[in-house]
Amino acid sequence: MARSIWNGTITFGLIAVPIRVHSATESHTIHFHQVHAKDGARIKQKRICSKERKEVPYEEVAMGYEVRGGEFVMLEKDEIDAAAGDRSRTIALEQFVERTEVDPVFYDRVYYLGAGDDGQDAYRLLHDALERSGRAGIGRWVFHNREYLVAVRPLNKFLVLHTMRFADELVSADKLEIPSPSRRPSDRELEMAEQLVSSLQKAFRPSAFKDSYRDRVRDLIARKAKGEEIELPAPEKAEAPGDLAAALEASLGKRRS
Amino acid sequence: MPRALWSGSLSFGLVNVPVVMVPAVRDLDLHFRQLHAKDGAPIDVQRWCSKEDVEVGWDEIDRAFELDDGGQVIVTDEELEAIEPRRTRTIEIESFVDLSEVDPIYFDHPYYLLPASGDDGSARAYRLLTDVMARTERAALGQFVMRAKEYLAIVRSHDGALMLSTMLFADEVRDGNDVENAAQKSHKPSAQQLKAAAAVIEELSGKWEPGEWKDRYRRRLRDVVARKRKGQTIKAPKPREAVPEMPDLMAALEQTLADMREGKSDKRREKQEA
Repeated sequence: MARSIWNGTITFGLIAVPIRVHSATESHTIHFHQVHAKDGARIKQKRICSKERKEVPYEEVAMGYEVRGGEFVMLEKDEIDAAAGDRSRTIALEQFVERTEVDPVFYDRVYYLGAGDDGQDAYRLLHDALERSGRAGIGRWVFHNREYLVAVRPLNKFLVLHTMRFADELVSADKLEIPSPSRRPSDRELEMAEQLVSSLQKAFRPSAFKDSYRDRVRDLIARKAKGEEIELPAPEKAEAPGDLAAALEASLGKRRS
Repeated sequence: MPRALWSGSLSFGLVNVPVVMVPAVRDLDLHFRQLHAKDGAPIDVQRWCSKEDVEVGWDEIDRAFELDDGGQVIVTDEELEAIEPRRTRTIEIESFVDLSEVDPIYFDHPYYLLPASGDDGSARAYRLLTDVMARTERAALGQFVMRAKEYLAIVRSHDGALMLSTMLFADEVRDGNDVENAAQKSHKPSAQQLKAAAAVIEELSGKWEPGEWKDRYRRRLRDVVARKRKGQTIKAPKPREAVPEMPDLMAALEQTLADMREGKSDKRREKQEA
């Protein structure tokens, strides 16, 4: 069994759903260590006091918030933790919303939920009721000394929990400077573009996509381990199409032939 | 205008749209610097060699991959660049999918794509792609390389702009088979329980108004800093009272509905308070 990273209770009204939180994602990025080029020895980081020029043990580290150039308000780590908020280990679902109303851009990290001790009935009840209603529950979650806005929704047999981005963290599209074309795309161009989109339409199969770069990094490491030399290719450059309609036509022709 | 993180082109068929990528998320977190508690002096992080015990400059640092046998392979920046694919400056649209078919679990980090140049051809191609995806409620899938990592991306129309979200690869989403106690057949709720739960959910339902949900953590942290600056001491808040235990599900559902009818617990207002 995967170890849970948090145990607590989800509530809605007076209904309590004991849950355990598990990671739903895992990174496969290949990690490197920093080493000293000269002798290949591992690099370690040292915290040095800029005044005394001496190493600072972790217990003597405080946190500074810079209020103006070089002037800091100093806080102990537990003073910062005090901002986390209520630590009662509950996530109260305060509101339920239509899942389709929540744009995925609001979802940040994702976790699987499992039922906690004696919570299977309540878990299944919340799961089924959310599935039927097409809704997600919104609440607050204190995790690792920080409060998150979260959404709880059903996914297959699971309840999943997403931490969410706040509205003010998102850049609004109307703040972007998007140049307007001299004229709107013509009906013919739209029609051709739609045909092209349709011709490239597929069912979403996530497993069809592979991180081939990750494989190449692995391969590079294997080749270097055998002492091989690596060659350098040149990048290519793309240009905007002069004639949009012609490019669309040619694309459609290319696909038909 | 936010700084471009990537520039290249978005291509579908023979249509190329030169684009730049800018962040769709801004960092509003408060950032702290480590200080030496004793004298308040900022702490510098230095890199030291674990063998020689001397400080090491950036130009003397290599990247090493540790092998299973304990040995290591040194990999240079140039070598990593050399294995980046040729399409490194292109987001090649491989397919279009119905947006509703892509579960949000795959969405990772959002960005906007903007036309890279002011020329009319780019602006029109950009507009065309935005319009056609909005009309068809479809999104484009493609892969690209940014900062030495290959990404799967979904590009869609978002308020008149092209939004790109990096996505998790299928093998980065765990299957969850090791999560104990997901929804189980043997714990199926009764029709009566389900009806009551649906009524509670209905009662607590509202429109998704993202702007109503404020980052209270950020606000409290600012407050902590401000109070500390004035010389006040900071104490952790007391935990809220635990929810009363109601082990009987049906009883909890009924009591909740009864409270709601009496207007005792208008939970929807709670999110407004601190």
